[in-house]
This record gives sequence, structure tokens and C-alpha cells, in this order.
Amino acid sequence: MIPLYVLPRQNTIPLLLFLLMSFFPVVAQDSLIILGSGNYSTMTVNTSDNNGNGTGTETVNGFGLLPNLNSSSRFLAQSTLGADMETITATAGKSYTEWLEEQFNTPISASVQQYTQDITVAALDSTFAAGGDPNLIAPQRWFWHSAWWKYTMESPDILRNRIALALSEIFVVSEMPQLDEVPLSLANYYDMLLENSFGNFRDLLEDITYHPAMGLYLTHVNNPKSEPSLNRFPDENYAREIMQLFTIGLYELNNDGTRKLDGSGNFIPTYDNYDIAEFAKIFTGMTYWDTFLFGQNPQSEQSFLMPMQLMNNWHEAGPKTLLDGTVIPDRNPVDGYADVTDALDHLFNHPNVGPFIGHKLIQRLVKSNPSPEYVGRVASAFNNNGSGVRGDMKALIKAVLLDPEARSCYVDDPFTGMLREPIVRYTQLCRAFNAYNLEGFYRSFMGSFYENTLQRPLGSPTVFNFFQPDYQPIGDVADNDLVAPEFQITNSVTILGYAKELHYWIMNEYDVHEWFQLYIGEPYNLNKTVNIDLTDELALGTDDKLGELIERLNTILVHGQMSDETKDIIMNTITQLDETQAELRVRLALYLTMISPDYLILR
Amino acid sequence: MSKHKHFHNSSRRKFLGQASCAALGSTTFFSSMANMLLANGLAGANSSNTGDYKALVCLLLAGGNDSYNMLVPRGTAEYDEYAATRYDLALDQASLLPLSPLTSDGKLYGLHPAMGNLKTMFDNGRAALVTNVGTLIEPVANATEFFSGAKNIPLGLYSHSDQMQHWQTSVPQSRDAIGWGGKVADMLKSMNSNQDISMNISLSGRNVWQSGNTVLEYSITNQGLGVEGIPQYQPWLYNAGLVDEIRQTAINDMATKMYSNVFKKSFGELTKHSFDSLEIFQDAIANVPPFVTNFSDHYLSQNMAMTAKTIAAQNELGMCRQTFFMTFAGWDHHDEVLNAQNSMLNTVSNAISEFFAALDEIGMADKVTLFTISDFARTLTSNGNGSDHAWGGNQIVAGGAVNGQDIYGTFPSLDLTSPLMVSSRGNIIPTTSTDEFFAELALWFGVAPSDLHLILPNIGNFYSVGSGSMPLGFLPMV
Repeated sequence: MIPLYVLPRQNTIPLLLFLLMSFFPVVAQDSLIILGSGNYSTMTVNTSDNNGNGTGTETVNGFGLLPNLNSSSRFLAQSTLGADMETITATAGKSYTEWLEEQFNTPISASVQQYTQDITVAALDSTFAAGGDPNLIAPQRWFWHSAWWKYTMESPDILRNRIALALSEIFVVSEMPQLDEVPLSLANYYDMLLENSFGNFRDLLEDITYHPAMGLYLTHVNNPKSEPSLNRFPDENYAREIMQLFTIGLYELNNDGTRKLDGSGNFIPTYDNYDIAEFAKIFTGMTYWDTFLFGQNPQSEQSFLMPMQLMNNWHEAGPKTLLDGTVIPDRNPVDGYADVTDALDHLFNHPNVGPFIGHKLIQRLVKSNPSPEYVGRVASAFNNNGSGVRGDMKALIKAVLLDPEARSCYVDDPFTGMLREPIVRYTQLCRAFNAYNLEGFYRSFMGSFYENTLQRPLGSPTVFNFFQPDYQPIGDVADNDLVAPEFQITNSVTILGYAKELHYWIMNEYDVHEWFQLYIGEPYNLNKTVNIDLTDELALGTDDKLGELIERLNTILVHGQMSDETKDIIMNTITQLDETQAELRVRLALYLTMISPDYLILR
Repeated sequence: MSKHKHFHNSSRRKFLGQASCAALGSTTFFSSMANMLLANGLAGANSSNTGDYKALVCLLLAGGNDSYNMLVPRGTAEYDEYAATRYDLALDQASLLPLSPLTSDGKLYGLHPAMGNLKTMFDNGRAALVTNVGTLIEPVANATEFFSGAKNIPLGLYSHSDQMQHWQTSVPQSRDAIGWGGKVADMLKSMNSNQDISMNISLSGRNVWQSGNTVLEYSITNQGLGVEGIPQYQPWLYNAGLVDEIRQTAINDMATKMYSNVFKKSFGELTKHSFDSLEIFQDAIANVPPFVTNFSDHYLSQNMAMTAKTIAAQNELGMCRQTFFMTFAGWDHHDEVLNAQNSMLNTVSNAISEFFAALDEIGMADKVTLFTISDFARTLTSNGNGSDHAWGGNQIVAGGAVNGQDIYGTFPSLDLTSPLMVSSRGNIIPTTSTDEFFAELALWFGVAPSDLHLILPNIGNFYSVGSGSMPLGFLPMV
């Protein structure tokens, strides 16, 4: 059952609704959220009656009503990388707690690394079969992207994949500047995130720290102990970023994510440069798992498929002081693993982690500007899952997605919402309309997509992600002291670029992905492309069905929040084409829906 | 029907009022200045129009350039000190490109061996270096003062995100979203006859430096992205033009409808801004003849080429003042610093040199000043084969207006026991502030001395506006 939440900011509305509902017995459950996508202030109720002659009253009565569809569509937009009408309908028939439990219990369905290997093997085999030299075929960045798409399009653990993408934007490892040459390392890293999505944060922290992709990216692989006679000191890179970005952030936080103040009203830094130097000592001595020689470069892609090992003779000896003054003892003999364990335990137990990570996850899934109360509830779930366990990712995810502030749409609140990030717009299109390839091969080069949107999975330009959590675009957002991270990659290039990408995906008809040759000389044919399936929508391209078409797109993509004005604009546009161009009408309506601010801002 | 017909070549419109910078009367200027000030609450109105085109080009070396290997002590005594500190990160003394600054501090300096083209510009008086410059709120004399707590210290020292932001705002006591280039544009944009396109053009997307209270950058790419529209719909179809047109109309209508939600409103405004500017921009650069200068393939050089092309279209665009921003990323060399700098400093040197060669072709080199910024310099000491985050460092200024062949500021001692070292890793307190560096650029660009504090609020801690001389001297008084 979904509880009826009464929220202080708009408490009159649910009460009004409750009164109304008592006059008209509602067949459907969860009516609050259905109406939440209508217009509260004047209580306009739009019918979702398929016969075209329903009224608002009948809708409230449940006549022709498709219960919960908008609500479940919105929930799935927060909790997955996109959902088709079938999934939306199926999810509408159950409580979100139930759905989450189902997802938590859905095992990892496949390995992105395995998919990447399969593509690599296919490239080698087909090169050989075509008379080419497989030795000349290098692993390519797009092998990993194609594998990621296959997982994204086919795996039933759709919550896990959404969480993993969010984690990949918090615990950033990037193809740039080097890892694009080692696509298996990226796939293995993503698998690691998938595996930890429903586990414990402490394990996630450990796996990230020892992952060779991270080791190369933040340069703590082959990071030697200091040698004062050579003016050589430990590399500070990972020590800094694990604190600034992965666990505690720059300032001490209250449990609700607001910053603590000292006696003079100033923020309190969590660490200074001495602390960085101390932590840098801890992350020394790690090297690739498959070498006997510290400092040796990776031997092959295999070097990236197992956690780094720690060589004690290259690990900084002596005590290390942690943030609260506690000291990692001067272990004799040197034990680097134990030092790292102590340091990770120390960071994991820092009171900042719950609010810091909770806030970031809310921003990835639900909204850009959560209230302190929301952050506080999420942080508390991180601190204690109810059974005394700290760092339980399932508790964290539940708290983020089931919070009243996540479940209410706040349609009248001008300050709520988030801009959907480009990669999620793309997956939402592909998943909502079941992009398919006849061979199950989701070839995706993601070159033009990256140029036009500045995003692709594990493709951040820096460890600070594609955008920063506190980014404030000038204008109304900054004037109201709000943040909008995704606007940091929203500029004239990416706005026009997204308009172009949409054109390729929807209007251009042929391939929603970017096709590449698996081997030199491979001929192109349409069976090798990835297409979206608009069968159900194409049936709605006739004059009498256009209203239904727009409502269907509204439900699937906009969760019932498309304004009348936007609907009118789309209707007036597609009716300028005649019935002989029904497919074009459908495609244009989809195009315009996906470029409308009503869609782009998820509320 | 749409007024945005960028997909029809026949409908390219000419907007009114092409630039005639020299003819801009001060009356017009002051009245629009007053309007602008009314709008954003800035107090001063004294900036003057020199009646000429000028552009500032900001090149961000993102990640923190290890710039004590870009400008390096070369005389034996100072080289030995450098080599003892930098140890395995020290460049060979013989490999340094010797510089002969017009003003000598008694020591010899060299440029990184990969920067031959920049050295030529230096020798020809078209490039200079600013040394040990960094983020400061007020002067900090030495490590004792630094640790005393008596001085205000920039927020988030050594943090990429913070320092990169401070270099763009020059207000390191806070984390501001408004950059000094944006504030300059707020103040000077009325000099441009065309107000429909931003005077701030970015080759690297959104950035703090160009964000003002009333000005947002216009982003383009060297590939022309941001300069081309949505592809035509199936152009072979009989009504393809209609499809393009009704689609564009709908996009515009959705972008410009009134949204109460601030995010929808902001996205709509950006969409409108993007499509409006697109048309103007396409028209303006369409007729720029190609340069003879051969630009390298690297994206930085290609960004320079696009910038030069845009400057060439200055009159067509109606611009008397423009800023350009571009990022060259990948300088966070915790690893492989020597190899990486060999290639990346070479790229910088070539790109700057090609840029001014192209500007020479169109007679604009004297009107354009390029400067580099970077998060911070790096620790002088090594972490094995890289260096970590530090503070003060060296930057490049280049252009025909620059008083080149000189090093501005005070090159610091690189001895780890120097009073300027705040860490045994070799983190140097800056002796020249970003304020002094940027004030010089802003004054040259046309900001009145009495308005300088509106752009750079901390400038009074470093420079007396009434001094009658420029803060550092690498640009002439206007």
C-alpha cells in the first residue's frame, strides 16, 4: 500500500482530494498520485478514458481509468534507465516497496565484461573469416559501449543498472585519458559497481580503492613510499579525491547535509593538506595483481581484471594520523592491507558519508535540490538500516526512492525538479520503445552522441563528473539559490546537439545507435542496425487517434505532466501533416515530446 | 511561421547594425551603459570606449600545469637549486630554450624545450610570462603569515574544482558562479551593436569565467557544432521543408512559453538563445575566407582556428568587444609529468603561434590578447614520476599589444626552505595575485580604473588604481 502523505508545503491539496475521493469511491488504489499529475489548484481532472468521451468525474470514479500509470511511469523514470508501457503497467499493479524488493532479489543477469569479451572475440573471428589479420585488431572503446547497451537493453535487473550508472557518476573512472585503450577495464569496473549496487558501501569503497582502473585513473597504482633523499613523496591524488568526492566532502556536515559552523560562524573543513599527506602514505605500495615487479606497467587487459595487490616493501612504514587524530599504528612488519582497511573504516564511519553520498544519490535519481529533511532521512537510513547496519545500499536506495519528497510531484512548486541528463534521455527512448537488434548486438559507437551531448557512460572529462553537484546556472536557478548540476553540460552546442541526436534517433528512422564495422570491410545492412519499435504508437497516427497518441507519449515519457499548452503545440504541429503521413506524425510527436521542457525537467 | 529559417540558404538574414567600433559615440555608449547598470545594480559608469575592436582569449590549462617546468631557472646557481628540489622531475639544463628578458633580475631563465614557437614569439616581443601568480585574497608574505591565521586564505587550496573556479572569478574567499569575464561583459557588452548574440564565445562549453549577471556564453565547437542546425528531414520528400519548418516553430513555441518552474524556464531560455544565435552566427562566419596559416590537427589548434575565424567575422557579427574561452584539459600529472608536458606544452606553443599567425593575416593580432590560466602549479618535489597539487605558478600572455620578451612578477626561490614554501613538498605562496594579472587585462580591454573594483573586488589589496601605471606592465596603458 502507498501511504497517503500529507506534506507541509501543500497540505491542503491531499486533504481536498481525500474529501473528493470519499464522495466518489475510487476503484483504483493510489489515487493521490494519479491526480498528482493533473492540476491541483483548480482540481481539474483529465480523463484517461480511451473512448474519447470520458469526463473528469468518470475518471475519478475509475471509469476507463488506467490506475497508477503516470505514477509508476514517474517512479520508473527515477529508478530505471527507462520503461516501456508494459513495464509501466506491470509496476502499477504493485506497491513500490514490493517492486524494490523484487529488484533487490533479481540477481545480476549478465556480465558487461563478458559481453565486451564476446564482442572482442566476434571482431577477431570475423576478421579472420574475412581474410584479415586478427593480430591487427585492437580492443576498441565501443566494444565496451556496445556491451553496456546490451546489458541496458536486455537485463531484467533494471534498478541495479540505474544505480550502477549513478554510482559511475559519483565514483568516477573515465575512458579519458587512457582507459579507452582497455575497454575490459571499464567493463570490469562497471560490473564491480553492479555487484555493489545492493551491497554495503564499505565493500564498495574497498573495491573501488583496489580496482586497477581506479588505480590508473587516480594514479595510486605503482605509488611508491617516500624517499626523502630523492625529494620523493607519496602521490596525493587518490588520498584527496577519496575524501573530497567519494566519502566526506570538503566540510563537516550535519546529518541533514547542511554544513556545520564553528564558533565564528565559519564552515569547518574536514581535512587540510597535512591530512592529505598522511592519507597519501596509506595508499602506497599498490600495483597490478599479475606482476612481481613494483612499478611495472600493465602487461595486458588481464592486468585490469583483478584487484590490485599491495607490496609491503613499497608501502610507507610508520604511523599515520587520521582525521580525528587517531593513529594507524607503526606496524612491524609493515602491513599495507591493514593500513588501508583502517583508513577505509575510518572514512566509512565518518558522519559525513550518509548525508554526502545520500545527497549525491538523490541528485542523480530524484531531484536537484532536496530539502534538508529529505537528506536527513536518507542519511539516517545509511547510518542504520533498521537492523543496526551502516552503509546498507538497499536501505539507502529505498530511502531515496520511497521518501515522500520523492513520491510527491509538487506540480505547483516552481523550484522542484531536475534536468534529465542526456545519457538517461537516450536510454529512456531506447527502453521505452524497445530498441532492438535482430542479432541481439547493440552496436553503439557513441561518437556523435558524445560530441553532441558531452556524455557517455564512464566518459567524464575529469573525476569531478560531467557536472558538479553544486553547479548554478546564472538566471532564475541561481537567483533562487538553487543548483542544477546537469545544466553544466547544457549550452548552445549540446542543446542543438541533442536536437540533432533526436533527429537521428527518431526522424531519421534507420538506426537509433551508431553503427560500426566489426571487421574491416563488413557490409552494412538494416538487420545490423538498432531500431525502436513504434508499432503501438503508429496505430495512433490517424486523425481520430492523435489525442490518444499524445496522451500515450505523455504517460510513458512525461508521466502525465505534459501541460495543455505543450499538448496543443504538438497537436497543432502534427495536424499540419495529413493522414497519409501517419508515421511521420507519430515520429514528430515523439520528437517534440522529447525536446519539450515538460519532458526534459523530471519532477 | 518560424522566423528561424536557418535550413533555407535563401533566407539568411542580415541583422541591422554591423559593427563600426570606431564610430560608436560615447553618448550612445553611456546611455546603454546606464541601462545595463540599472538592470544589474552595478554602480560605476566610467568605463570608456576606445573605439576599437579588442578580444581577450582565455586558455584554461585544466588540471594544474606543472609550470615550474615551463619557465625554468637556467643560470648555474639557480638551476642547481631547481634541480636539487625537483630531482627526477628536473629538465636538463642544456635542453632549456634560453630567454633574454628585457628586464633582468640577475638570473637566467629558459623555456621548456618543447615550446620553440612560443620562444620565437617571446623573442619577437609578442609573448611574455607572468611568474608565481596565483589565487590570493590579500598578500601573504611568507609561511609564517600563512599559518598564523591572521591572513585570509583562499577557500579550497589545492582542490581542483575550487581553484579552477577561483582562477575564473578572482574571488577566492567564496565560490561564485559569476566570472570576471562575465562581469566585464556585463559592463562592456553595450559597446557591441549586435545584442542578439553573446560577446562571450566559448569553445569549451559552459564556464565560470564568461558567466556574468546578464551575459551567458555562446558555445560553439571547432567542428562547427553550435554553428549548424538540425539536419533537414528527408530532403528528397516533397514536403521536407514543411516538416523542418513546423518542427522548428514548435520547438521555439515550447521554448518561449511561460514556465513557472525555474528549471523549465531556464531550459526554454537556453533553447531560444541557442537557436537565435545559431542563425546569426552561421550567417556571419559563412563568408570568412580561409586562412593561409596551417593549423595543427590537435583540438586546441582547431579551437584557435575557429576563434580566429570568429574574430575575422567581428564586423559581420557586430562585435567591438569579444571574449573567447577554451579549455585544454589533462594537466593533472600525478604521473608521467615529463612525457606528458613534452607533448602538451608543445601543443600549447604551436596553437598560440598558429593563432597569431592567422590573426596577422587579417591584421588583428594587435587587438587580441591571449592569456593562460590553470588550477595551480604543482609540487616542486616528485611523487615518483609525477607531482601533486600546489599553488603559485607561471602563466603565458601573448598578442601584438603585449609588452613581450619579459617576465613579469618575481620569480621565487625554489629552495624548499624558502620562506614562501608552505609545505616541504614545494608549494609556493603566490607573490603576484590573479587580481593584478586580470586587472591588467581588464584595463587594456576597456574597463575604467574606477570600475575595476566592480570586476575584481579584492584588487585594492594589491594595486592602487590611482597609481598611474598598470599593475604589472605587460600591456600598455589605454
